[in-house]
Amino acid sequence: MAEVVLSHVMKSYGSLYAVNDVSFTVEHGEFVALVGPSGCGKTTTLNLIAGLIPMSGGDIAIGDRIVNDLDPKDRDIAMVFQNYALYPNKTVYKNLAFPLQMRKLPAAEIDLKVRKAAEVLDMVHLLERKPRELSGGQQQRVALGRALVRDPAVFLMDEPLSNLDAKLRVQMRSELKRFHHNLNATVVYVTHDQLEAVTMADKMAVMNGGVLQQYDSPANVFANPVNTFVASFIGSPAMSLIPLEAAGNALISPEGWELPLSAMNARKAAASTTNKVILGARHSTLTLHKAPSPGSVPGKVYTVEPTGDVTFAQIFINGALVNISLDPTVALAPDEHVWVEFDQERLHLFDAETTMALAAS
Amino acid sequence: MTVISATAIRPKVKRKIDWWRWAGRGFLTFLLLFTVLPMAWMILTSVKSQFAAMQYPPQWWPSEPTLNNYFKLLDPRGRIGQDFLRYFWNSFYVSVLTTILGVVVAVPAAYAFSRFRFPGRNFMFFAVLVRNMFPAVVFLMPLFLLMRWMGLVNTHGSLILTYLTFGLPLSIWLLKGFYDNIPIQLEQAARIDGATRFQAFIYIVMPLSTPGIIATSIFSFIGAWNEYVYAYTFLSRDSQMTLPVGIQRFFTEFATDWPGLMAATFLMSVPVVVMFLVLQKYFVRALTEGAVKH
Repeated sequence: MAEVVLSHVMKSYGSLYAVNDVSFTVEHGEFVALVGPSGCGKTTTLNLIAGLIPMSGGDIAIGDRIVNDLDPKDRDIAMVFQNYALYPNKTVYKNLAFPLQMRKLPAAEIDLKVRKAAEVLDMVHLLERKPRELSGGQQQRVALGRALVRDPAVFLMDEPLSNLDAKLRVQMRSELKRFHHNLNATVVYVTHDQLEAVTMADKMAVMNGGVLQQYDSPANVFANPVNTFVASFIGSPAMSLIPLEAAGNALISPEGWELPLSAMNARKAAASTTNKVILGARHSTLTLHKAPSPGSVPGKVYTVEPTGDVTFAQIFINGALVNISLDPTVALAPDEHVWVEFDQERLHLFDAETTMALAAS
Repeated sequence: MTVISATAIRPKVKRKIDWWRWAGRGFLTFLLLFTVLPMAWMILTSVKSQFAAMQYPPQWWPSEPTLNNYFKLLDPRGRIGQDFLRYFWNSFYVSVLTTILGVVVAVPAAYAFSRFRFPGRNFMFFAVLVRNMFPAVVFLMPLFLLMRWMGLVNTHGSLILTYLTFGLPLSIWLLKGFYDNIPIQLEQAARIDGATRFQAFIYIVMPLSTPGIIATSIFSFIGAWNEYVYAYTFLSRDSQMTLPVGIQRFFTEFATDWPGLMAATFLMSVPVVVMFLVLQKYFVRALTEGAVKH
């Protein structure tokens, strides 16, 4: 077990930076999720930690060692791949034994470890099968078994659940979390599914365009997104973003209405580089009114989506679609005029120019 | 309760004759006869006596079948047997060496074309294939001059080198298709599991490409085994001749001993046929998995 430290890691392909100056530290025993849209550099970052591709700059340390120039086999890591990468011509037993054989362990010890791993993952009865004779979930287990049979310092996982069907994915998600808890393992986990990241990770590294946007606990990322990208990427439905203009103690809309701000929020809005700001709000912090009320702004209903215990509505406010969650008993019709009240304590203000969250000066 | 059988109430459908299907069958039958008849005639003739082979009207079925022709060819004490066995050995030796060297060169080349991005990669891959865009005879004179310059005329080395250049493009192309289909994650997994890049290749990639290696081996073996023009041009000593050239030279001397010639031809086709029968399943897999799917 060990910590992983990335400092100023770069990976370029020609003039394109797939990973641009990324630094973060994974503490011993931590579960860190690298999350972002496809092409954001998260898988490249994982491959750099694994040593599968050469770095263009920066340092990576695992434990006490700088591993920049070490082969993957010498980094004391294990990896679970999205397509599992089980050796198709080997039985499950031999798949599990391969990492141990490569490390020249005595046959008796290999046998012991393989059987123990198979027991932990409840697949003793599968040991003589070939990978193609297994279901997706079983293959996933074998891939996990091959990673943990060796007791590596760090587990790297590249979207290990994305090839499973929805039900199995939820089940494996909790199993993985339990597995991390039991082993107290250091895990770096790549996913494009922000829900997976939020539910499993101790910390999440949100990436976009090769750049690390925010590195923090899921709760903090959720509560205090550093910019509009993180704000709209984390959370489902996404945080709604409305471009407005700051004027003294209020935000004004070209549509003619204005939203008074609390003293704290007014100071934040004043810190903006221009007077253009973006107002962000999560669906659960908004209150719907059917008639004008103080502190609310007018909008028009776009769609209404009942999901059972909660109904989601999208409302046009100042040209932006705003998500709001409602009690299922509320009756709404498309094109109905409504008024939306913002919670001053829980709304977010971003600089429209830099997209960064605004802080009171 | 009455049970009405389903067949009883089903209206009789007049089965339409599928003419296209029958035309296809007819065509395939024709093709089959076209390829099988000469072989049948070869085998039938090879067990006839010289006299029976020359009869007119022809004796379709040998009345007194004999294996004498085969005994003669395979008898190391007779002059005919000695020559035939030497040709056979020459062909075998040249073909096997061509095959082995071909695999040794094609496997790393195909792997490199599949896995590595290096400057000139596309150009080189194209250049490898260019050879196959020209008929082999076009290269006869240039290669002869080249071989003479290298002092390789009248050696088996000249043939092995030539057959290699003819066989490699297809081998590399076929094997590249195979390596393209092996997910790179398998190698990455192996390297993380403790293998070097080379070990990952040997333990994981090679076994998965076995069908491709077998198929390319068959191709190069058959190519070398059957080749006539270059062997005829590059070699002049009787003791060096390979089977295709040797058989022809040897039997024209004796005013066409048809049964003997057919027996020799049959023996020559045995290794190839056996190889095909034994390795057929790899061969089909290689063509469908490796080359077609990308």
